[in-house]
Order: sequence, then structure tokens, then C-alpha cells
Amino acid sequence: MKKLLVVLMALMMAFTMVTAVAEEASDKQYVIDKGVLVVGITDFAPMDYKDENGEWIGFDADLARAFAAKLGVNVEFVEIDWDNKILELDGKAVDCIWNGMTLTDAVMTAMECSNPYMNNAQVVVVPAAKADQYQTVESLAGLAFAAEAGSAGEAEVTALGLNCTPVATQADALMEVASGTSDAAVIDALMAAAMIGEGTNYADLTYTVSLNSEEYGVGFRKGSDLAAELNAFLVEAAADGSLQAIAEAYLVQAALINQQ
Amino acid sequence: MQQLFEQITQQMPIVFRSLNQGFLQTLRLFFVTLLGALPLGLVISFGSMSRFKPLKWLTRIFVGIIRGTPLMIQLLIFFYFPGLVLKNNIWGSGEAGRFTAASIAFIINYACYFSEIYRGGIQGIPVGQEEAGLVLGMKPAQIFFKVKLLQMIKRIVPPISNEIITLVKDTSLARIIALQEIIWAGQAFMKGSQGISGAIWPLFFTGVYYLVWNGVLSWLLGKLEKKMDYFR
Repeated sequence: MKKLLVVLMALMMAFTMVTAVAEEASDKQYVIDKGVLVVGITDFAPMDYKDENGEWIGFDADLARAFAAKLGVNVEFVEIDWDNKILELDGKAVDCIWNGMTLTDAVMTAMECSNPYMNNAQVVVVPAAKADQYQTVESLAGLAFAAEAGSAGEAEVTALGLNCTPVATQADALMEVASGTSDAAVIDALMAAAMIGEGTNYADLTYTVSLNSEEYGVGFRKGSDLAAELNAFLVEAAADGSLQAIAEAYLVQAALINQQ
Repeated sequence: MQQLFEQITQQMPIVFRSLNQGFLQTLRLFFVTLLGALPLGLVISFGSMSRFKPLKWLTRIFVGIIRGTPLMIQLLIFFYFPGLVLKNNIWGSGEAGRFTAASIAFIINYACYFSEIYRGGIQGIPVGQEEAGLVLGMKPAQIFFKVKLLQMIKRIVPPISNEIITLVKDTSLARIIALQEIIWAGQAFMKGSQGISGAIWPLFFTGVYYLVWNGVLSWLLGKLEKKMDYFR
């Protein structure tokens, strides 16, 4: 038994050493050698979501597919925990974060980001019955806010010096307002448009003030040459109209940013 | 109220398909963990009872670390550490890699708890039995397998049952590395998935799955305990 244990431990150490290979020079080459671009996403309509067959579709999903095709590799979508996106990227569990990601300072520092490709805003969500009172930034003073921890929305609320409770997801922030535990929430405009108002589960919520305008981009590992590759691809796709075509398929063409 | 009920009825087929899929992943993790941790726990318990001092202390320190830190942290470390520090993601990409990493973290964690239960079971057997065996000329291995093992199993069934039921619920921790078990599947409908968003009942309903499965397990483990009754 003792010998067996010694052998086991020796094996484990050998295993650790074998796996500690040298870093590749180019991230692009790494992905091409691997033959698959692993895209980190969350379930976030209309950017990335599943169709009836369980296939990932959406503006970002289709664009990622086109980009992978240009690289000559397959694409694989992996659902991640949004809080861990930098860990996922640096840990090489995914090769890029492509999921309507707001280009904040934190994201730009930690990742190699592409040029922005879509406009977004952080909007204030309040019960529809009280919407009239909260049409300006000044009227928001004294409200108790909920926003996703680490999100662009939380940063905006904190910057305004308003009282903010961080919650796990944007959906949780909406639930806070719906249940009355917070007075207002701050979430993405694209998400607000899809999730609240008439015909949704949050029919008695609405959104009023936009706190900022911001832009979506794709994140790669720090120092990766894939970001430049994607920028070139975006210009090409804009020039031949395929970028607009994908955007129109998901009704987000108005938010598209011009690529030159 | 009527409207809410109708809405839920409409959502049911989509939600249940997704929850069932998540629960399958939960069950897979549960069985793989048991299959790995039950025997590995025995190996670790031998280590912590070894007469070879360095091995004994190494094992006890290891068990102390695993038992003294949250499983959630262990999952994060197991999954992200190889890629972050060794610059090589050994788990492979996609759901399969996450499952492998989660399984290994769970197996090691539960094996450490099991090892202590085994140790209690083995050390609780009167020394006189071992001495009698030695006098009769039995080898230590013979004494263990022919005399102690079955008595030990009888003694450890109640505490192991406890751990097994905890394990069913602990599998939900794997969502921290985005393993799509049933809690993840339930939460997805809050954030919005397959056209359903802001629905809270699927998450709460996952509790029913756990409850039913734990009911089945309690019943089976109770039967096992009865079966062992012929030992004193």
C-alpha cells in the first residue's frame, strides 16, 4: 500500500511537469493549431441564445461563426459564469469573450479588445406606475438601486453617488424592482428592450433615463494577435454588407457601429 | 392569479426539458463522485493510519486542507489553476472539460470526508480482534478483509448516508465553474433563455428534484442499514 502511494505521488508530479508546456508565441497560431475557436458566452438574447434545436444563434454567435470560418477553424460555444470571464480567458478555458460585452476600463485593462461594433446604454428601470417621476438624472436621488455586481450599470450608479445594492445578475436586479426590495435597477438598454414592458414577465416595469452610452466589443487574451485579426474582419464584413445582414436578422442594425 | 397559472402551464414543457437535462448532469456528477470517492477514501484512510510517520502526517495535512477549505474554492482552483499558472488548460474545452474538473474536485473532497469516517469505523473495532487474528497466524491483510471490513461497513453506513445526502445538494456548487447542472438550468430562465425570461418558479422547482432523489436515496440507504442488522 505504501509503495502504491509513493508511485501515485510520483505520477502526479510527472503529470504536472508534462503539462507545464511553454507558452505559444502567437494566440492566432494557437487557435489554428487547435482547430477550434472556443467562444465564451452567456444566454443573452439577441446576442447569443439557443434556437429550438439547441443551436446557439444570435448576432454575436453568427458573427463569431463567420470569423471562425475566415480563420479556417471550427467554432465552439461555451456558457460561462460572467463573473469569471477573465479567469476563463486567462485559464485558456475559452479563447474569446463574445457576448455583448461592454468595453469598460476594467475589461480593456484585462483583455485585448477588438474595436467596438455596437452601441448600448445603461438605462434606469422603474415600475411603470412611477415612471413619470423619474425622467431625469436629478430625480433619481434618494432611490435605492440594484445593479449587477461588476457591471457597467453598477459603475454608473456608484459614479453618481447613488445608493446601490450589487446583485448577481441583471435579471436579479430586475427581480429586486419587481418585488419592491429596490426602487430601481440599472441594466443594458438592449436587455431592457427585450425583457421588460408589455408582453414580458415584467409587464409593469419600464425604463426611463439613459445614464451613459457605451459600446460592445470582443475580448481576447491580453497580447493576443486575434484582436487585430477581428478588426480587419469587421472592416471586411462591413464592406461586403454581411455585417449589416446579420444585424438585420436580429433587428439590431440601428445599434451597429460603422467600421472603417 | 389565473393568468400566472396559464403562463406557467405554457412554460412547463420547455422548462422541464431543460431541468431534466440539468438533473441528468447532476446525477452524473453524483454517481461519478461516489464511484471515485468511496474507494479513494479507503486509500486515504490507510494513509492517515500508516505507521510510516511522514506519510501519515502528509495525508493528515492534506485531509485538513481539503476539509478546511470551501468546496467552491477548490472547484475554482482545480478548474482554472492549470491554465492560469501552467499555461495549459488540461481539462479540454467545453462542457466535458468542466465535468472532468468538477468530478475530480468532488472526488478528492468527498474522499477526504469518507476517509475520516472509515478511520473511525476501523479504529472503533476492538483491538482484541486484531490480536486474536495475529495469534491465529492471520496476515494483516487477511485480518482486514476477513474480520474488520464487514464490521466497519456496518458501523459507517449511517455517517456515510449523511454525506451522500449532502453530496446530492453539494453538486449545485459546480455551477461556479459553469457546469450546467439543474440549478444553472433553473436560473437560466431568470436571466432569459429559450424565450422565457424573468421566470422564478423554475429555480424554486429544482428543489422538488432534490427532494425526490434524496427521498429515494434515504429509502435505499435505510434498507441497506437494515440488511446489516445481523452484525451487532
